[in-house]
Amino acid sequence: MYFKEINHYGDRGLIIDFGIESSKDISQEINATIIYLKNLKLPALNTIPSYNKIVLHFKNTEDKQKSIQTLEIMMKDFRPLDIKRPYKSWNIPTCYESQYALDLERVQKFHDLSIQEIINLHTKKIYYNYYIGFMPGFPYLGEISSKLITPRLSSPRVRIPARSVGIAKEHTCIYPKVSPGGWNIIAQVPFDIFSLEHSRTSLFLPGDEVEFSKVTQGEFEKIQNKNFLFDEIIKEFSQ
Amino acid sequence: MNSFSITRTGTYLTIQDFGRFHLQHLGISSSGAMDQRVLKELAQVISDHQNQFLEFAYVGPSLKVQEGAIKVSVGGFCKIFVQKKNNTQIEHQPYTSINLFEGDELTINNTISSVYGYIAIENGLGLKPCLQSHSTDTKAQIGSINRPLQIGDTFQIKKDVSSWELQSSEGLQNLNQTHFKVYPGPQISYFSDEVIKTFISQPFKITSQSDRMGLRLEGPSLFSHLSHDILSEGILPGSIQVPSNGKPIVLMRDIPCTGGYPKIAILSSEDISKIAQLLPGTFINFDLESQSI
Repeated sequence: MYFKEINHYGDRGLIIDFGIESSKDISQEINATIIYLKNLKLPALNTIPSYNKIVLHFKNTEDKQKSIQTLEIMMKDFRPLDIKRPYKSWNIPTCYESQYALDLERVQKFHDLSIQEIINLHTKKIYYNYYIGFMPGFPYLGEISSKLITPRLSSPRVRIPARSVGIAKEHTCIYPKVSPGGWNIIAQVPFDIFSLEHSRTSLFLPGDEVEFSKVTQGEFEKIQNKNFLFDEIIKEFSQ
Repeated sequence: MNSFSITRTGTYLTIQDFGRFHLQHLGISSSGAMDQRVLKELAQVISDHQNQFLEFAYVGPSLKVQEGAIKVSVGGFCKIFVQKKNNTQIEHQPYTSINLFEGDELTINNTISSVYGYIAIENGLGLKPCLQSHSTDTKAQIGSINRPLQIGDTFQIKKDVSSWELQSSEGLQNLNQTHFKVYPGPQISYFSDEVIKTFISQPFKITSQSDRMGLRLEGPSLFSHLSHDILSEGILPGSIQVPSNGKPIVLMRDIPCTGGYPKIAILSSEDISKIAQLLPGTFINFDLESQSI
């Protein structure tokens, strides 16, 4: 158990603290806690997981006060291992061709590795989705190989193309939409990962696992041209 | 059928309501009206507003009735005129109902000593909610209309106005509150007692680099003795975060859902609406309340 304590966050917020570290174990406990909290049916407007915290936002102070009492009691009995994983494992076709990999050459020089070595390092790991943040549907996936750890761009790009795959520090990500941003762009995926049309909204949910598989330009375009809907992507690329 | 069009957008004209909830874990912020007190007050005048309000900043829009008739009410501090079809001009007061007929054009001038103004329309704007809310988040491109409104945008309202009788509410007084109650932020311990003393004893100026996302403040720098870079965590509106330049930012309605700067304090929720209305250049002070579980 990493759970430490529950603290106030203003007059309508609570913050559940799991310490100062970040690890997959902590994140798994956090995501299990989120499921546990759902079953408690707290009147929270938002429940926001991150690396080592869960923030709860309430409509008013009364809702918050009632929830503190419930939480203080219920967190004592909570055993994260009892929670079953309802998560998905994804295998995402990814194209590392230079037209999509805006920063691959720079990353390659930074680490003194070949492009092939970087692609191998990026595709050989199964990443854990710590949480979604920064923009709608933007997954924080970790950890990347220690050989690939790269600082953010010193000056963020104004316009990163939608579906771009980035790396920064210990994490890799996918930009759901065109956005400014400071991650090093090394590839692109062939479909949207955020949809207002589907009940899931975000393709990846906190706790999911994601693997990237290298595809050729031709394969990438073939998938791109299919304009998959979320249900088809889920069927084809997840377990 | 009743319809009206936007004939002047004013500044930053968007559709807002009380916010979009239960989705912040997917990176979708709550959004909603910057001053939610005004929406509650307007609801006293136009009760059947369908949670579809227009929000503008500084300069109000013009609306022209194209077909039929509509009933609206304006909230905020601003001068309101209606240009009738026969070219007469009538002035109206905020928080009163205004009946508009085919050819009438409503124009709202600048907000006076405040930033945000609102329009409620009886029977709403004929829009469907997007992710359970009508609010527009222009950064995330989410909303019933996912961008600021443009000249020519036309709204069809199927239902007719229920009554032409004048309705009004007391309205909101412009209190010009400049002292704000804050609670300790999750990272208050990142700041020394001396820095906290500065934070609560010195005035801070609201700068013009302020919008629906946040208000940037100018004043004494608040440097952390630990770090200005924390592991990203969930953030709430009203949080006062301090990046490495030491200049605090009050996070408002269109915040990113997680943030990596330490938060020295968080405003009382009621005060988010009040601080939203303060003009750039206004000096504010923070009063720190203690809080224990």
